Amino acid sequence: MLRIEHLTKVYPNGTVALKDVSFQVQDGEFLAVIGLSGSGKSTLLRCINRLIEPTSGKIFWNDVDITAASSADMRNIRRQIGFIFQQFNLVKRSTVLTNVLSGRLGYTNPWASLVNYFSRVDHQRAVKNLERLGLEDKAHVRADSLSGGQQQRVGIARALMQEPKLILADEPVASLDPVLSHSILKYLEQLNKGDKMTVLCSLHFLDLVHRYATRAIALKAGELVFEGLPVEIDDARFKEIYGKEAERVSIV
Amino acid sequence: MSRPSSKNPNLAGLLALAVPGLGHLYLGLWTRGLVIFVTTLTLAYVVSWALESFKIALLALAGVNVSWLWAPFGAFWLWNVLDAYRRAQQRAAPRLWGFLLPALIVYVIAWQVTDVNLQRLVTRFGDAKIILSAIVQPDLFARDQVSQIGGAPIWVPCSEPPQPPLETGYSGYPVRLDKSCATVGETVTIFGEGFVPGATGNLHWLSFEGANEAQIRAGGQAVAVTVDPDGRFQQSFPVPTFAGLEGLDPQNPLLHSVEARFTQEVGAYHPSENFGDLIGKISQEPPPQVLVQLGLVSADALMPTPLLGDIFETIAIGLMATLFSIVIAVPISFLGAHNLMARVPGGNAIYYAARAIFNITRSIDTLIWGIIVVIWVGLGSFAGVIALTIHSVAALAKLFSEEIEHIDEGPVEAITATGGNLLQVIRYAVFPQIVPPFLAYALLRWDINMRAATVVGFVAGGGIGFFVIETVRKGGYAQYAAALWVVAIVIMAVDYLSARWRKQILEGETRISSEPPKAWYRTFKGWAYAVGLSIAFVVSWNLAQIDLRKMFDPGPTFGKVVSDFITIDTSPPVLAAVIKQLLITVFQALLATTLGAIVAIPFSFLAARNLMSRTRLSSAIYNVARFILNFLRSIEALLYVAIFVFWVGIGPFAGMLALAVTTFALIGKLFSEAIENIDAGPLEAVTATGATRIQTIMYAVIPQIIPPWISYAIYQWDINIRIATIIGLAGGAGIGLLFINYAGQLQYHKAGTVVLAIVIVVTLMDFVSAKIRQKLV
Ligand SMILES: Nc1ncnc2c1ncn2[C@@H]1O[C@H](COP(=O)(O)OP(=O)(O)OP(=O)(O)O)[C@@H](O)[C@H]1O
Ligand SMILES: [Mg+2]
Repeated sequence: MLRIEHLTKVYPNGTVALKDVSFQVQDGEFLAVIGLSGSGKSTLLRCINRLIEPTSGKIFWNDVDITAASSADMRNIRRQIGFIFQQFNLVKRSTVLTNVLSGRLGYTNPWASLVNYFSRVDHQRAVKNLERLGLEDKAHVRADSLSGGQQQRVGIARALMQEPKLILADEPVASLDPVLSHSILKYLEQLNKGDKMTVLCSLHFLDLVHRYATRAIALKAGELVFEGLPVEIDDARFKEIYGKEAERVSIV
Repeated sequence: MSRPSSKNPNLAGLLALAVPGLGHLYLGLWTRGLVIFVTTLTLAYVVSWALESFKIALLALAGVNVSWLWAPFGAFWLWNVLDAYRRAQQRAAPRLWGFLLPALIVYVIAWQVTDVNLQRLVTRFGDAKIILSAIVQPDLFARDQVSQIGGAPIWVPCSEPPQPPLETGYSGYPVRLDKSCATVGETVTIFGEGFVPGATGNLHWLSFEGANEAQIRAGGQAVAVTVDPDGRFQQSFPVPTFAGLEGLDPQNPLLHSVEARFTQEVGAYHPSENFGDLIGKISQEPPPQVLVQLGLVSADALMPTPLLGDIFETIAIGLMATLFSIVIAVPISFLGAHNLMARVPGGNAIYYAARAIFNITRSIDTLIWGIIVVIWVGLGSFAGVIALTIHSVAALAKLFSEEIEHIDEGPVEAITATGGNLLQVIRYAVFPQIVPPFLAYALLRWDINMRAATVVGFVAGGGIGFFVIETVRKGGYAQYAAALWVVAIVIMAVDYLSARWRKQILEGETRISSEPPKAWYRTFKGWAYAVGLSIAFVVSWNLAQIDLRKMFDPGPTFGKVVSDFITIDTSPPVLAAVIKQLLITVFQALLATTLGAIVAIPFSFLAARNLMSRTRLSSAIYNVARFILNFLRSIEALLYVAIFVFWVGIGPFAGMLALAVTTFALIGKLFSEAIENIDAGPLEAVTATGATRIQTIMYAVIPQIIPPWISYAIYQWDINIRIATIIGLAGGAGIGLLFINYAGQLQYHKAGTVVLAIVIVVTLMDFVSAKIRQKLV
């Protein structure tokens, strides 16, 4: 279970990106995080695995306080939390296989991994995950030779190498076209339903939220303005979250 | 931004009249005002300097010496007034004059300061021909020479009665004369047999007892003798007056002799001695110690041993310097990366210091470093390696740190998110991003270092540079020409390989096979490369005479050198001398750029693939043009200086011409690439209207290439100033000459002034040229 308590983040330049945000995520949920651009979605997700240091507040992961963890503990916590990025964040010049294997670094001996040594088991695991995402024939090509959708699948495979219990996905489909968006979210749905992983996913399009999420929260200028079921977001709520001018657009 | 229309034109004009540029400042045109102000100031200084130091544009008016260049200077001042006035009315004065007037002043001065003397180019063309013919016949291959001499005695003059015939042929080759005696002017015929068919030679007269000799001439020309196909010859000649110098007394005739001398090249061409010096030879040498100790050969036996020539020493210098500079530049480049240093306490200060050191070190040419290093470790290849390494470390570290600054933070975040520690983040997110660009820059640097290695011997000793000064000093132009050819071939190969490998590294192979690539140690190719590289390393280490101990045992004067260098001499006479040579250098570079660019303009069209691929003839011309550019480009300006020193004499003109040749080649390549990169759309459109080739060029090509060309020309001027700072080391005058003079007289504090001046000018030009080019694009 993930519990966020009074989380606040102020950037060094004074921007208040999160203001006293508290909520809980039960195991097995698919929680959508919505909100305007700049509302603090990325900041929230990055605070959870401390890619960004929170200014104040606490984050409990299975009753362990992440915000108080030492850097050695962080390594253990992070490897249980997979992160999927909007810009994929692959090492473009490395091969797909190396990118996927790098998801295992939290488990491997740092010195062995320096010479690019991964155990046979890890290799088998990588191949299995690539197969699962339909990329088995791409293992030895350079990451930048793949299409956007394929690159995001590599990103998912990399996260799966961690055998995570929680997946944080920061707008995983914002750089992709509608058809690909569904294919990527279906993989996340599979991980959520089939593998019982908890998913926290920020999304832009409301119909994607309706289609995939079991619950949703909304941020507005760093504050939590909604917490509930996707179906509860009616037109009035929508205007409240996105502002008066907003129009609901749908995606295929 | 203020609105110029609200300002008073008369006031703007008045202000501009009072102080050039002030009118523009008043209008809020800051940059323009500043540029005009600085230009006016500079022009004023240069005009009075030119009059004082060189009496340039001297005009004696009523007994007072003035420069007529004050006229265009005044015109420029007036132009500035007009421009300010008009701009206040939101119009502009014709721009052209704003460029033309300063250009006129600058070129008039540059022309005379650089001692341009076109007449000398023509009157001494005979000398140029000697060099040019050496260049097309470099001394690399030769045939064996056989000399044959046959002589016969003769009495001078005849006695009464004539002497009996003499024994013929005293030197192995049977030669006889038709007379046993003769007097001066009498015609004698010489016969011979058994000589090499087709050989040509001359006749020599040896006086009594062979004490004196002279070539036999007839009608003002040496008498030539040719051997016929059966090895015989026959030639008549007059007895020279020289034969009578010791008396013509019939009572006391003297015995003289006539010799026919032939030298003939025989057999096949084989590598000449010069080839051996330059490239290498197999020589019989004592065996290596190891083999003797193993008892495989006896100590006094001789073994055929390959001895590598100066070009390999040069290659080794370039290679070792590149290796050393990579090893040093990689760690220190982290100090110059802002994104990393910003995270460390005090990092910003380190960052600025590191960047400043990189830039200063880079702006001092390798050869200048060479002169300093020689004082440290002594003459030799190793000094060359160190000089190259110093410059190269700075240049590479700058590029490397910029590359580190530009890494994508995404993967860093992603690897951190998987739980990787700092080491793993560096290994998996930073490393893969920086290694390929680092390698590419290192390869580029290898290319640059190889070129520098061909000239570093001018000051450091060793390699081709040293070979060139030695041969030129001895007047061995055919040997010098051979060096140019060898350098051109090696550098063209390096240029090609470096570009090709860089492309491979940056584009990478995107493999599509599902098989994992084999580790290098499992492939034959991998081992071949590993073994080859190791051998190259060991051989280069030896050839470049790397001796790290020398670095810790500096020459006795080195401490004084360093302290003198830092206590810079700023006394007025030194400053005046430095400024004078610096201005000469800048003007030299300006003229060379202009000259090279003017020649390159028409030529670059011939070297543009898109214009020259229509017919087979034109693509043949294209290939020849490209080859000429590549060939000339691969030889450093310093190596050309000897040609022009021989042609027009030592001095700034020779240096300028040498610089112009490299400019032509470098800029010709850039110009033709600019043509190749033009947008084909307008080209098609104009062709479609039925325009001729010339019209197409005028209307579709020229408008597209002018801006990049100007930008390249300015860039080249910047580069040329750097080269011009060392052109004096080979007899091309300028600041480099001043530097070696000071260094040679052990006046290192003055040499320090020179170095500081170079750093300032090069940095300033770098900045100005970058700014102008930014404006143009
Ligand atoms: N490194 C930073 N330094 C300062 N301010 C930042 C930084 N990163 C983000 N911000 C600011 O914090 C606020 C929240 O940003 P955040 O990226 O979390 O929003 P978001 O909801 O993810 O937006 P988007 O949908 O555009 O990704 C914004 O106002 C942003 O400008
Ligand atoms: Mg975001």
